[in-house]
Amino acid sequence: MRDLYQRLSLPPTASPENIRRAIYACPNRALQQDADAVLGVAEHREDYDTLHATVSDIGQLRARLGLSHGAHWQGSVANDFTYPPDAAVGQHEALIGRVSDAAMRYNRWQRLRGPWLAAVAVAAAVSVGFAAGLALCLRLSGA
Amino acid sequence: MPIARFSPFELLLLQSHSQVDTATLLLLAWVLVQRDTVSDGQRCRRLTQEAANLGHGHDLGPIMRIAARRDIQAIQLAAEVLRHSCTAEQGLAVMHKAIAVATDDGRLSLANHYILRLLADLLQIAPATLETLFQELAGAALVSPQDPSRDAYWRAHNPEHYRRQAERDAAQARAQADARQQAEHQERERARRQQQESRREQARQQREREQRRHDQQRRPQASTPPPDRTLRALAVLELSPGASRSDIRLAYRRMAQLHHPDRVFSQSEQKIALASQRFQRIKKAYDYLMRRH
Repeated sequence: MRDLYQRLSLPPTASPENIRRAIYACPNRALQQDADAVLGVAEHREDYDTLHATVSDIGQLRARLGLSHGAHWQGSVANDFTYPPDAAVGQHEALIGRVSDAAMRYNRWQRLRGPWLAAVAVAAAVSVGFAAGLALCLRLSGA
Repeated sequence: MPIARFSPFELLLLQSHSQVDTATLLLLAWVLVQRDTVSDGQRCRRLTQEAANLGHGHDLGPIMRIAARRDIQAIQLAAEVLRHSCTAEQGLAVMHKAIAVATDDGRLSLANHYILRLLADLLQIAPATLETLFQELAGAALVSPQDPSRDAYWRAHNPEHYRRQAERDAAQARAQADARQQAEHQERERARRQQQESRREQARQQREREQRRHDQQRRPQASTPPPDRTLRALAVLELSPGASRSDIRLAYRRMAQLHHPDRVFSQSEQKIALASQRFQRIKKAYDYLMRRH
């Protein structure tokens, strides 16, 4: 399984017209014939694209899991679908970090809940009293 | 610092009774999704069957949905969980289940070829072990996957298309032959009419027709060089008419350095091909001008 898009320097979303032009300009006869049979026929291209997407995902996964040189990753697939490792951190470590972060926040909230609630209650009482006073003043001045 | 939201699979993993089992289920669901000719209902039933022996303890719908969505981050998380907390025996058991799920109907889809190999690398299972395991479970040897990026694969898998194409080509060739025959027929008809008018005229026509057929046969190589070829060759070297021999030589040196294929050696194959075409054109123009001057 080779990555025909990469070999023709095309994006996988290329239009049939662009593909036809790239195939025509391709100097390698064998590749030209294969690309014409696979990408030039709509039904073949659909099947190939589905598999291409899955194998790209697998290449991406291997790069992130550090498995780009595995014993089972050989031949043209490994040549065409091995990607450079990207900067994404391990999902498991990220999950543990986020869970501990969330737990810390929860604990802090539990500890400070009493004072916070009291402060909010006082602030609410003060604002209600102020509003009532203002309303009374307006009524008196109106009368 | 705000916490990003937990993704659906992270929530599942946090609520699960056993993280390893949940991760295994997601990977099995991924394998199931990549199997050909299986309905969604069948997939769900098969996953339920697997989940009966595992301690996931929740509904399987969300797992199936995550797998169907091609969520690569969730799959990566599942793979990391398996790698971190799986012993060698557990790893073999997971591989066992994955092979069973992938080959229930005796056929292994192309995508699953690669997924099973990814799992084997992940769980550090050697190629020989994987082959033995596969042989035992599927009853057939694990062969290397076929290559749908080749013409030969489609000739074997879709002969219908090639038959149709051959028919189309044949029809086209027949239409061309018909058209040619008709043209010849008309020609003959006209010749006959002219024969009635004058025998002399007919003889001339005959000679002309022979001449034309002769030309038609060897048209490709018979093209005489057009009169403006020198001008075009000069234009290729970016010179104006009347340039001297030394001008031509200087221009050729400059252009050859500018367009030499070795300059784009590190770039794509297509660029190299284009550069070598340009270079060939420049060299031909130069050779031609050197012969003429």
